[in-house]
Amino acid sequence: MKRTIGSRTEINDPNNDIAISVKNLYKSFNLPTEQAFGLKQALFNRLRGIKGYKEQKVLKGLNFEIKKGEFIGIIGRNGSGKSTLLKILAGIYYPQKGELIINGNLIPFIELGVGFNPELTGRENVYMNGALLGFSNQEMDKMYDDIWEFAELKEFQDQKLKNYSSGMQVRLAFSIAIRAKGDILLLDEVLAVGDAAFQQKCNDYFKSLQDKKQTVILVTHSMENIRKFCTRSILINNGKILMDGKPDPVAESYEKLFK
Amino acid sequence: MKIPRVLNKKNRILLKELTKTDFKLRYQGSVLGYLWALLRPLMMFAILYIVFAKLLRFGSDIPHYPVYLLCGTTMWSFFTECTAQGIQAIVNRGDLLRKISFPKYIVVVSATLTAVINMLINVVVIIIFALINGVEFSPTWFLAIPAIFELYLLSLGIAFLLGSINVKYRDITSIWDVIVQALFYAVPIIYPISMVANSSTFAAKIILLNPIAQAIQDIRYNLITAETITTWNFIQTPTYIIPIIAVVIILIIGALIFRKKSKFFAEEV
Repeated sequence: MKRTIGSRTEINDPNNDIAISVKNLYKSFNLPTEQAFGLKQALFNRLRGIKGYKEQKVLKGLNFEIKKGEFIGIIGRNGSGKSTLLKILAGIYYPQKGELIINGNLIPFIELGVGFNPELTGRENVYMNGALLGFSNQEMDKMYDDIWEFAELKEFQDQKLKNYSSGMQVRLAFSIAIRAKGDILLLDEVLAVGDAAFQQKCNDYFKSLQDKKQTVILVTHSMENIRKFCTRSILINNGKILMDGKPDPVAESYEKLFK
Repeated sequence: MKIPRVLNKKNRILLKELTKTDFKLRYQGSVLGYLWALLRPLMMFAILYIVFAKLLRFGSDIPHYPVYLLCGTTMWSFFTECTAQGIQAIVNRGDLLRKISFPKYIVVVSATLTAVINMLINVVVIIIFALINGVEFSPTWFLAIPAIFELYLLSLGIAFLLGSINVKYRDITSIWDVIVQALFYAVPIIYPISMVANSSTFAAKIILLNPIAQAIQDIRYNLITAETITTWNFIQTPTYIIPIIAVVIILIIGALIFRKKSKFFAEEV
């Protein structure tokens, strides 16, 4: 199966005030129609002239630009293509068609605690997770105590992660994640978990990002967060941009989608 | 345009942490822990030694045959571990590939580095056994290094090649298991190559054109005894280059296919 590839370029130009530029972005996935994970099935399909997969168009021509310092909220129903867009921006998926320019160092949080391993201790997991965020051992040494302080889990640091409750794991992961320093942050719904106290910490974190004029792209279903933190919002429906502008009107049309 | 540096700081940190994690996890929950890195090949050697050297009386014409055998089994274990782990690496680390973007080869290399560490520990054991067995230290020992490196590059090439196909067709893992079983008998590890050479020179030559056999015989030649038959001293001048060319070709094809397919690992794994 032939697949074309669009372009994703990373630059670092401090004089350019565009952080992300997306032109004519398309993406589709080839979903196997039946169990095609195996040589036998692949061979049969080829002999019978069946493609063995169905093309699922997820993004159908997106165009937008994000300026430095903008706090963008991306909203849309389940399956509208938000997460796919985020993964393409993060460089995890390749764009199928179109042109993408990322200006500056981009840090994605598709999920909290990526690479966490239940068989390792809290300490080992912190260093592993830190490495995935691009921190060296020395940098991790410096912020190590702060991480545990913030997570309020200091006495558990040498326990295996499997003995942590899920709430404790999230707190630890969050505590590492907020140390990440990049020009652009991508957040995928990652902070929608935890109890009231944890939510407060998330809010404080968002607030601090807003105050710092950090460039953020947040995917969320919470219209409250959109109205509270975002400077601009993009509504995606069915793989296309339905609306792009001030948070309030965009959030309203999102809510209208369900009526 | 700037060419991204292959092993920049971020990638190096990642490679180190992944390798450390792999190594720790391997022996997680076992009483003897890291000791198994030593014990497993030693036990394997003990079995082969009893069966082939003692019961079947192989290798009576080779000096220091027990160490010669140990050296062969260690290098063979290194090859099988390296390829098996490397082929599985992308699938095993699928969770990472789907969540962050980084050069995918890091995952494969880190998986094979665990095998490298195990092998290095075992080389120390071979050297101790060799000295006990009366092998004298010689500067030629260092000539074993390029042969070990060649074996590693071959494993890496196979891991890249089959690992990238394995993402979509998981049958590769099972097929490779069978191939490894067959290869074990095609490489002179448990039997001395002189046994084959005595009945058919042609067969011995074919066996020695296999890069795995060539590398292992070279390592034995330099480390244990100059009486080892190697590709170089057994095959005519232009032909003996074939194993080296094979390794280079496998590595290049593996790397190219891996690079092409790796763009879609996150979607397919």
